[in-house]
Amino acid sequence: MNLAANANAALYASMIVYTLAMLAFTWHLAARAPKVADSKQVADVAATERESVLVGAGAPSTTERRPSMPYAAGPGFEESLKSRQRGSIALMLTYLASALLVASVLMRGLAVGRPPWGNMFEFATAAAAAVGAAYSVLAKRNNWQWLGVFIVTPILLVLGLALTVLYTEAGELMPALKSYWLGIHVSVAFLAVAFFTLAFAVGLLYLVRLRREEKPPAKPSFIESLPTSASLERTAYSLNMVAFILWTFTLIAGAIWAKQAWGAYWQWDPKEVWTFVIWTVYAAYMHSRATAGVDHRRSMYIALAGYVAVIINFTLVNLVSTFVGMHNYSGM
Amino acid sequence: MSTDTGPTTDRAPDGSVPGGKATAGTTDARGIRKGMRPERQEPTLPTLGALGMLRWGWRQLTSMRTALFLLLLLSIAAVPGSIFPQRNIDAGRVADYIAQNPTSSPWLDRLGFFDVYASPWFSAIYLLLFVSLVGCIVPRTKVHLQALRSTPPRAPARLKRLDEHTELTTTLPPEEALEAARAVLKRKRFRLHSHDGTSVSAESGYLRETGNLLFHLALTGIIIGMAVGHLFGWRGDIILAEGDKFASSAGTYNTISPGPWVDTETLPPFVLSLDKLHVEFNETPGRDFGKPRLFDAQTTLQSSPGAPKTDENVSVNHPITVDGADIFLLGNGYTPVITVRDAKGNVLYREATPFLPQDPNYRSVGVIKVPSASPKQLGFTGFFLPTAEPTFTNGPVSLFPDANNPEIAMSLWEGNLFPGGAPQSVYTLNTEQMKQVLQSNGSPALFRLKPGQTKELPGGRGSITFDSVKRFAGLSVRTDPGAPISLVSAILATLGLILGLTIKRRRVFVRVRPATAADGPPGDTGHGAGSTLDSTLDSPPGADGRPATVVTIGGLSKDSDPGLAAIVTAITTGVTDRLAERTDRS
Ligand code: HEM
Repeated sequence: MNLAANANAALYASMIVYTLAMLAFTWHLAARAPKVADSKQVADVAATERESVLVGAGAPSTTERRPSMPYAAGPGFEESLKSRQRGSIALMLTYLASALLVASVLMRGLAVGRPPWGNMFEFATAAAAAVGAAYSVLAKRNNWQWLGVFIVTPILLVLGLALTVLYTEAGELMPALKSYWLGIHVSVAFLAVAFFTLAFAVGLLYLVRLRREEKPPAKPSFIESLPTSASLERTAYSLNMVAFILWTFTLIAGAIWAKQAWGAYWQWDPKEVWTFVIWTVYAAYMHSRATAGVDHRRSMYIALAGYVAVIINFTLVNLVSTFVGMHNYSGM
Repeated sequence: MSTDTGPTTDRAPDGSVPGGKATAGTTDARGIRKGMRPERQEPTLPTLGALGMLRWGWRQLTSMRTALFLLLLLSIAAVPGSIFPQRNIDAGRVADYIAQNPTSSPWLDRLGFFDVYASPWFSAIYLLLFVSLVGCIVPRTKVHLQALRSTPPRAPARLKRLDEHTELTTTLPPEEALEAARAVLKRKRFRLHSHDGTSVSAESGYLRETGNLLFHLALTGIIIGMAVGHLFGWRGDIILAEGDKFASSAGTYNTISPGPWVDTETLPPFVLSLDKLHVEFNETPGRDFGKPRLFDAQTTLQSSPGAPKTDENVSVNHPITVDGADIFLLGNGYTPVITVRDAKGNVLYREATPFLPQDPNYRSVGVIKVPSASPKQLGFTGFFLPTAEPTFTNGPVSLFPDANNPEIAMSLWEGNLFPGGAPQSVYTLNTEQMKQVLQSNGSPALFRLKPGQTKELPGGRGSITFDSVKRFAGLSVRTDPGAPISLVSAILATLGLILGLTIKRRRVFVRVRPATAADGPPGDTGHGAGSTLDSTLDSPPGADGRPATVVTIGGLSKDSDPGLAAIVTAITTGVTDRLAERTDRS
């Protein structure tokens, strides 16, 4: 067994454990759904909170929602022991799976003697590892068990795609990639993508939660056990904020590297174009959120659109020949 | 952002909070937020007059909503440039695209879709954004400078209305309790001001707006750097064969694109010779077969003719610098050395002719122009194949990028090489006034040659010899005097962004008043959100153990700010500690 083979073994192992984690998270969510009896109370509390929001914030045009408990679960929700236990199990499995995945990426890096992101397969696994690691680090502290299934499932999808469609034997790099900037620029990009991904998942849940707060459903589901929409919105904002700072750095580091490799720090090659598009869309989101009178829901749509651009940047732009510019290292 | 209302909070003197009926523009307890970007009532147009219209237009342009809109517009406008081929990246692909889409291309071209980033509409968006940015920074800076010099506003009467609030009683006298609170706030780097003897107002997080302004200012710095680079920068490209020497001057580059304000007479006069180009390709079969592994140009450099020579290596990611110009290795390929002779054996042409690679296996196209041939000028056009597929069943194909089985395959034309005397590319043959030369059997003449081979041209026109093959390096020489400006600005922008996003602007108010009988035993705390103080005060305090002072603490913040509660808690602890200290001393 050599290092590269070990890396693959760790990758398969992490997929198995992630699958278990995904099941455990689903099981956990099932236990979270409040009983119908409680739901009336949940809706009442939510309604009262909305009212107090309108009064407290003055002009109804402002979308300010006063937090009652900034980072706690939704009002009226008491997590059951069962759900807590299942959540812990799922988290443990996620830690293990993420550790295996990170180990796999590291071993691959050692096997090839360079940063392990030189082709699409390595891109996908490293990005998935970044998402898994970021979630693992943040989940316990923030009580994000409810988020798990929405993070672990996409990780599994990406890993599956990586293994089936994109798999490339460990190999050497093309000259254009042989630079320490590969390590700096790309690793920060992955970290940014990890945070964008977390923010995207929380953002979607925010929209669902908000909808159901406005029109309380007849039958409550785990959604009603999540933190309030206002709190989800703030969480998504904070995550996007971190991601945006990292993305700004990615952009700058990329420009510095481009200057070294191609002689010009900016020449609008498709990868640069999309990096820029992502940056401006999220800058617009930041502005939108900071502008008085713009609904947070609408700002969130901008952030979600930004995430679509992130996905396009990592898939279409790397693979489709219309986009091929100077960044065509995909190894496809 | 508008400046037609005051900078931050202008709270009513008594500090009272308009009871939930605040209209946009007035400030309420959350004045930090509102005051910074008050919603403006839409002005009515007809009464404005020309100047008024201008002012109104300016306000619109520099509003947050416009900035938001322009940012979104800019991101959408940038996308087509990644979908359609762009002249600035690859003019050849644009030409191909136009040839393949004859109906839509003229329209696309007219609308600038092949030059998106130089198109009027794209420029319009970013120029408007730039103007908006400047128009936004200037008033914001003024407002911020004022805010920096101002004192925190008077504490509101009812602190319990604020986001975070708590109340505690202590046996300390009011002045001492207030002093303890001040000490804590000072340690937390708050700016303090007491409007009266029983309260203190504190504010912190001024760096947030400083960072924000720095960020936006640095964005303009980046744009200025780009403009400087465009005006004063230049780039020249050279194709240099192994063994050849290049002396830099305006006339010697294959192509040169100077910025509008560049004096091409003052280019650095360096001399560069390419001694050897090391190239490696992956020879292991598999997906990466034939992928490049190494490009490294071994050169000799003189900073001017006659200056001492130094050995320099230029490789991908490792440019060299001479006289402020950076030399990059951006391409490579093959230059077959080809000789054309006339029927008597006189050499008409002998040159290392660069052939431009067309695919990853370096199937390359090139042209040989022999204007001195007579009676008619001759032109060859065809392929160089570093590892030729021998059968040519699918036409000329190369199987591997390295020169393992080099071969050229050329066809021959005769006639007028330069119709109208117009300048033309050295890589294409203009066949408008030329005819292809046929063999005696009527099929077009094709010359397939390996190094060292010679073929006779039909009809006694002479011969062609493929002598040898050398590599060439595609070098690009560039200066960009704006780059350092942009780089420093970009770093400052990141710094400003981090400050602007992570620092929270907060206000904390503390009020003290003598306790009354209704205030209960010491240690009773209010039920403010985030108040985590329990019975930290249950140790037996002052003289008779009766509360002397009620301390009310209230804090508010511009944004989600989990740190605020901690500060309120810290003040409580601070007051308690002060009490403990005093007890110790007495
Ligand atoms: C060149 C394009 C611009 C970019 C990329 C950009 C980006 C940003 C970013 C990332 C933030 C941080 C968001 C936050 O603090 O929540 C911000 C804040 C801000 N921007 Fe811009 N901006 C641009 C142009 C403008 C313009 C033209 C204006 C003026 C109309 C403006 C006004 C503001 C203001 C007032 C804030 C502070 C928001 C707050 O209170 O947090 N920006 N901008």
